[in-house]
Amino acid sequence: MMRTVEVLLVIIIITGAFIIASIYAVLPTPRQVSPIDLRRLALTTLQTLDASHDLSNTVFQPVNDTSWNDLNIALSACLPPNIVYNMTVYEVQTGTTQVYNMTNSLSNAASLGVSTGAASYLIASSNVTFSFIPERIGERGGGGTLYILNCSDAYGWWITGYTAQKLAEDLYNLLSPYFQATIMVQNTTQLGTILNGTTISSNPYENIANAVVIDTCGEAVPIPSGYYATQGSQDSYAKYCYILGQKTRLYNWTWASIVGYPLYYVSNAALFPSSQNTWGIYGMQLVAPAGLNSFLEGLDNQPYVYNDNWITGSLAGSVYLSSEAQYYCNYYGTYPSYYQSSSRALPTSILTTYHLNVPTYIFDQSGNYLPGAVYRNAVSGALLALGLTRSPDIRLTALGLLQHYKPRLYRSDYNAVGTSRVVILQLGQMGGI
Amino acid sequence: MAGSTIDHIVALTVFLAALLLFIALFNQTIQTAVLYQEHRAIASKCTDLLDNILLNPGYPTYWGPSNVTPTSFGLQDPEFTQYRLSPFSLMRLNSLSGTPIYYPKTGLTYSNITMGFGDFLLVPYSEAINYSTVSQLLGTNNTYGFQLNIAPIVTVSISEFQSSNPLILSVNVTGKGFPLASANLSYCFLTVSLQGDGSYPSYTTSYGSTYADEKGMAFLQFASITDNSTSYALIVYAHISGLTGMGYHQRVTSDQQYVMPLIDDFSTGRVLIAHSYDVHYFGPPVAEISYNATFVLLTQDFSLREVPLDNSTGKIGKVNYGNGQPYGVVTIPTGNPGILVITYRKSANEGGIILMPWGVSAMAFEVAFGADMSGKEWVATDIREVTVNNVAYQANLALWSLQGYQVKG
Repeated sequence: MMRTVEVLLVIIIITGAFIIASIYAVLPTPRQVSPIDLRRLALTTLQTLDASHDLSNTVFQPVNDTSWNDLNIALSACLPPNIVYNMTVYEVQTGTTQVYNMTNSLSNAASLGVSTGAASYLIASSNVTFSFIPERIGERGGGGTLYILNCSDAYGWWITGYTAQKLAEDLYNLLSPYFQATIMVQNTTQLGTILNGTTISSNPYENIANAVVIDTCGEAVPIPSGYYATQGSQDSYAKYCYILGQKTRLYNWTWASIVGYPLYYVSNAALFPSSQNTWGIYGMQLVAPAGLNSFLEGLDNQPYVYNDNWITGSLAGSVYLSSEAQYYCNYYGTYPSYYQSSSRALPTSILTTYHLNVPTYIFDQSGNYLPGAVYRNAVSGALLALGLTRSPDIRLTALGLLQHYKPRLYRSDYNAVGTSRVVILQLGQMGGI
Repeated sequence: MAGSTIDHIVALTVFLAALLLFIALFNQTIQTAVLYQEHRAIASKCTDLLDNILLNPGYPTYWGPSNVTPTSFGLQDPEFTQYRLSPFSLMRLNSLSGTPIYYPKTGLTYSNITMGFGDFLLVPYSEAINYSTVSQLLGTNNTYGFQLNIAPIVTVSISEFQSSNPLILSVNVTGKGFPLASANLSYCFLTVSLQGDGSYPSYTTSYGSTYADEKGMAFLQFASITDNSTSYALIVYAHISGLTGMGYHQRVTSDQQYVMPLIDDFSTGRVLIAHSYDVHYFGPPVAEISYNATFVLLTQDFSLREVPLDNSTGKIGKVNYGNGQPYGVVTIPTGNPGILVITYRKSANEGGIILMPWGVSAMAFEVAFGADMSGKEWVATDIREVTVNNVAYQANLALWSLQGYQVKG
């Protein structure tokens, strides 16, 4: 009998345990199990309403402005019918104990229910202006000089629709804030001077070594009369391109070719008054593919060997900016088209032949070809080549150089009291359990 | 002794019975709690997955306006941050809603996002991204099933209030939860002329703007339409306080024989112009159809700007049904979203107008992508407000587990 009584006691204890466990083990309601993320919904609603800056405009309007009514309609229309809202706008104050001061509030329900989610959104007035100070290339270390070939006595090719001088002006505007010294090389004589290692301006920051030289003549390159024309005339001036490669290596230049086949012609109006580039442009001499091959030989300090093999490839379809280039588009605020045609892409085989590496991909590699990149020699000197089809987009050259040197932007903003608003959108879900 | 034994037997029997009963009761409570936990895990996964899809552009970044299959899936517009989606990536998703069509002249089957007669978006399966590929790229294959719906928030429905003399069209603008009272309506009215040069049709455009009333309604009157035999199209953009939507309406006089635009190549913008008989097999006899294609862009002020097509890229042409009758080809000359407008002419009295969005947002097309969710035991959903080329959309993801009835998270 005692055993039965003991068992009954055990049953009572277990029953008690079950009842207590059931009381405390409160299961969540279905809404809590699978809730709509109201916080995210609130944030994305605010972003949607501000996609065209309408929200930014409205929150700075007086409370009796009709745009508040439009905002209320838009909020009601864009949220699902079972979602209620309360949107409150605060002015951000500085220098006071009360940082946030409410300016207006919109709501479509007296209560938001038991389950709510809220998101905040900071809006700056259009009166707020932002500015930045760029780091100048060469501030930390040598170099920092940009030479733009603006030679009045040389012509361009494959820069259809532009002149070399116009491109040079655009490049100056784009890049001069980023270099310690930006020097326009006004004629081929000045080009000869810097090739000799002599500065051509009174700018104290001009420095031949580690400079960047941009050839704005497209597939043509200006050639100085005298020594360089004499020494470089061998093999239809392929030897001049070889000397340019040597100088690039000697001074650790970055030579930039903006479009097409680099160094395909040499140009000097006075030197070639009666010779034309086979397309009717006088003052120009055809070098053909030997120009680039010779330049690369000179850059790699190889002995000069005449080589007129065509090495570039014409790529089908479009070529696309590399993800790194796209990042720097946003960073520097320059937005060339992300896809281009490339009919003069350099082959990857030059990397081993001329001891080059590619620190900067402007365009994604396509098969065995590089539509746009910076090629740096293992010892010294570099070539930026954009093997794109004419006409050139000079912003791509600027982007490539900025992407390569990565000068930092020191951003600063000018703010004032009453120029910022915080918008809080709180959402509640009605109906259901 | 016997009494003690009976006491033991009774006590043991009662004890075991009670124990089994309580084990069952506790087990039921635990099972319910575990199931709730698993459902909760699916809901969390749904939220994470939706953000994963909407907040990254995928790789290659610009896979939308190209022919490549992405190696990482995402729908964000690569030129923006936040919840802004690429109109071209959405266009390449294999549609769940429309019935695929087969076009024998290319031998390809096309994903169909047609929104009604005259509003086509047909993408070849070879260019469209299918569900299994996306499921693998997202890492959900064999573990979760999902369905993604991207639908415009603003619905602009247009109907004929009076068919002619003058034509009066009723425009009704509503959002998800409320009419768009006082919305600003910008519209473009295209009237088809079948008397163009060389028997090719043409169209004229007129623009206007008005406001919706407190019920989101507006009536537009076009005095130039004096009879029922004039084909036209109306494109309306509605916007209020950052919320933008659009709608369209067409009337044609030839709805059996018409042209159908089929996307052929995303990277070059190549679009094939097919005769409707080749797709729907209505059978002979048929008439040759001439067409005149134009591409229009939506500008910042919600007007449409024409981007002329060269004759060399197929601005005008003629198509017919059957073997030996090649399809027409047009090339869209820009990478920006817009609308391909094709007027067609069957005879001097019969013709019409066809619209095709280049980028889903250009005509606020809805996109349904993924697997069928009917019959699933537990489906978690989550929503986000997004913009596609400034048109407001709502993205809705439904997610369920594929790991058995017990729904493992």
